[in-house]
Amino acid sequence: MNHTILMSILILSPFIGFLINGFRYKKHNYMVAGSIATAAVFISFISAVLLVADVLGMPAENRRILVSFFEWVGVGNLKVDAAFVVDQISAIMILIITGVGSLIHLFSISYMHHDKGVAKYFAYLNLFIFNMLLLVLGSNLLVMFVGWEGVGLCSYLLIGFWFTDKEKAAAGMKAFITNRVGDAAFLLGMFILFLTFGTLNFAELNALAPTTAEASWLGAVTLGTLFLFIGATGKSAQIPLYVWLPDAMAGPTPVSALIHAATMVTAGVYMIVRLNPLFVMAPNTMAVIAIIGAATAVMAATIGMTQWDIKKVLAYSTVSQLGYMFLACGVGAFGAAMFHLMTHAFFKALMFLGSGSVIHAMHEEQDIRKMGGLKKYMPITHFTFVLGWLAIIGMPPFAGFFSKDEILWQSFSSPYGHPALWAAGALGATLTAFYMTRLMALTFWGQSRVPKNTHPHESDAMMTIPLIVLGILSVIGGWIGIPHVIGEVFGDIPNVWEHWLHPLIREIPIQSEGHHDASLEWTFMAISVGLAAVSAIVAFQMYVRKPGSSEKVADALGPVYKAIYHKYFVDEAYFGVIINPLVRFSRNLWFYVDVNFIDKCTYWVSDVVKGGGSLVRSMQTGNMQQYAMYIGIGLVFVLSILLMR
Amino acid sequence: MTADSFLFWLLAAVTLVSGLSVVLVSNPIYSALCLAMSMVGISALFATLGAYFIAGVQMIVYAGAVLVLFVMVLMLFDLKTELATFSRGKISGLIKIATVGTLAGFLAGAFSMSIEFMEKPATKTVVAEAGVDMSRNLGTLLFTKYILGFEALGILLLVIAIGVVGLARSKGGTHAKH
Amino acid sequence: MRAVKVEHMLSTDIITHVGLNHYLVLSALLFVTGMAGVLIRRNVIVLMMSIELMLNAVNISFVAFSKYLDKLDGQVLVFFVMTIAAAEAAVGLAIAVSIFKRYKEVNIRFFEHLKG
Repeated sequence: MNHTILMSILILSPFIGFLINGFRYKKHNYMVAGSIATAAVFISFISAVLLVADVLGMPAENRRILVSFFEWVGVGNLKVDAAFVVDQISAIMILIITGVGSLIHLFSISYMHHDKGVAKYFAYLNLFIFNMLLLVLGSNLLVMFVGWEGVGLCSYLLIGFWFTDKEKAAAGMKAFITNRVGDAAFLLGMFILFLTFGTLNFAELNALAPTTAEASWLGAVTLGTLFLFIGATGKSAQIPLYVWLPDAMAGPTPVSALIHAATMVTAGVYMIVRLNPLFVMAPNTMAVIAIIGAATAVMAATIGMTQWDIKKVLAYSTVSQLGYMFLACGVGAFGAAMFHLMTHAFFKALMFLGSGSVIHAMHEEQDIRKMGGLKKYMPITHFTFVLGWLAIIGMPPFAGFFSKDEILWQSFSSPYGHPALWAAGALGATLTAFYMTRLMALTFWGQSRVPKNTHPHESDAMMTIPLIVLGILSVIGGWIGIPHVIGEVFGDIPNVWEHWLHPLIREIPIQSEGHHDASLEWTFMAISVGLAAVSAIVAFQMYVRKPGSSEKVADALGPVYKAIYHKYFVDEAYFGVIINPLVRFSRNLWFYVDVNFIDKCTYWVSDVVKGGGSLVRSMQTGNMQQYAMYIGIGLVFVLSILLMR
Repeated sequence: MTADSFLFWLLAAVTLVSGLSVVLVSNPIYSALCLAMSMVGISALFATLGAYFIAGVQMIVYAGAVLVLFVMVLMLFDLKTELATFSRGKISGLIKIATVGTLAGFLAGAFSMSIEFMEKPATKTVVAEAGVDMSRNLGTLLFTKYILGFEALGILLLVIAIGVVGLARSKGGTHAKH
Repeated sequence: MRAVKVEHMLSTDIITHVGLNHYLVLSALLFVTGMAGVLIRRNVIVLMMSIELMLNAVNISFVAFSKYLDKLDGQVLVFFVMTIAAAEAAVGLAIAVSIFKRYKEVNIRFFEHLKG
């Protein structure tokens, strides 16, 4: 089919869904609203599949479909088209967005069935899909930025969906404002890149990337990419702008699954992979990205070990896994980053939906201290959750193993890599296994601490089908990127992923010290799997076999535990150092400048006018002789002028 | 000093003093009488300038009709209470006098300075029949060159006459109830 | 008029040789006097008499010009001015009479209705 038509359907179908549900926003019929929304996204999915099929058929060197709808901006040197491109990277993204998106829409129909604003909810979800598609399909930074802002907006709308609850509304605002800070940096990055290269188009930017790495911290490419990365930390919840994501759990659970696991938070990673030739040529930025990614991965994992809310654990897990993706980008393993993006989308969305199922069954209870032994009440949920668990802790042959392992290996062996980075990644993997096993143990296994009057039950088909589909994907999703070392063993299975993405990834221009040994790679693989297994067993022991041992450990650690439990007091620090002074400053500005000064100026102007009017009015005395006097004075005046000539 | 100049100075003094008295005297009747004196002086000045017809008309119309009208109206007003003569406000009064004085200065100065352009030496001597001749010439001029104005004046007078009667008439006129 | 010129004393020339200038200055002074009267006096009737004075002053200057330019047009204009002055005086007095009948006052200070 014609590419323009397919692209239009792909992008506009969710938008039309948004419009339809938007106009119907007062209706309560969740089946109708949900069906419209799910159908809209599913139609997009079909178009995406068709487009990707076309792209598959193209020769490897020129795999892109470019559809330009119209010239959007044409001012001076700035020429920006409303153009969308499906190439290797965006093909992956649109399949994830529309595919996982359809499943989550389906799940939402059942999950939100009792909510009053269900049509509004689906409208927002569709709007989100639309904006996310704009983001990943845009062929230039400006169209991407439109989508970037749009998903931020939808995130705010959906997090604060139950806005009558002040805390939830505040969480929405926190997300939006933190995003906005990142967006400001994104804009600065765009400005710098435009000034340097004269274009915002991805293809042109990548072609114009310098051929030698930029050594200085103040070079244009380094600064531009650094600012873009800061924008990415806002959107993808890295240090220092990650604080919104745990609070974002205030929104409905499918929202967390879609936006905060699978799609929106990956936008930062996507952006870096898109512009990877520029990033590769700015080693300083790459170092920053890698260090922040590794640090975030470890820090979020430590916090995740202490949380009691099932969704908060998953949220910190997301932050941690995103840290891995950025770590991969930072060492130049962009393919691995995208790979982990995809597998993470599968298993994290699965686990979020699974937690939604659990919360639903527990009648909106989210505290895992009140759960336990749910295995026998919710078999399907439990089974799919187990698949997700095994994927995330990196057990072969599940999806997470391949992607996470690739990242760990690259963080050691890449020319931009470093053993310290690998060590951090391995530590993070160990902690991940620990807290995920803890979550499983406290929720599904062991003794049941469920309150007496709550009767958990399995969810209906509309919820379990997406769980099953995602579970299958968590199992097989990794087989698309089997690394060479394993592939060779099993009879030359190609690394499909690497070949697919190869033309788009810029080679790192540093001479590597020599081809790393295959055995080294095996060793690292074994180490990481071993560490994960040990950690999982320890967690199992602590929480299932010997309940109560975890409290002893927490008491033993004392202040350390307290700091971690309170999320290292980062939120408090932000409030004390930045936000409260800013609010005070604004309030002072309002009071002293606006009320006292500006308003007084306007009053002063009006007073002057009134005074002037009174003054002039005093001439109107009604005294005719005075008027005659004025005439006389005027006469004298005119005569004097005339006689002076 | 010649007779003409002596006459001029005398008449000028009389007229000016009378004019000043019109403005400065409190009693309005005295003011009217001073005005009459002033008009007589002016009429005489016209005569020294050789405009005998106009001098006559001035006496008849102004001193004879207009002034009498003024005096009649003044008597109609039968003012029992004495008004303050001059307007209140010393400062505005001062400004008025200053303005007026400045104006006088300007005019006098302007005339003096530009007199060379205006005056032609008088060459004609005064002839006795000049008055009759002048009247005839005046009449001719009036009825040929200025005929339109003359006729308009007639209409104006008609309108004025009717208007004045309409204006002064109130609901009762002299039969008004007070 | 015989001009007696005294060569060495210019000032007496002004006194003895009465020319157009003298009549014009007289006219100006009379005019200004009348104007002062308009500005200062409170009685409406005296106000109108001052206006008549102003008009007369103008008449003097017209006639003076007529004499010194040897044209009779000035005198015709005097004719017009006189007529109009008389008409205007009549109307003004009629108004004054109406006002007096209504307000029993001829003090111009009581008629400040345009104030404000």
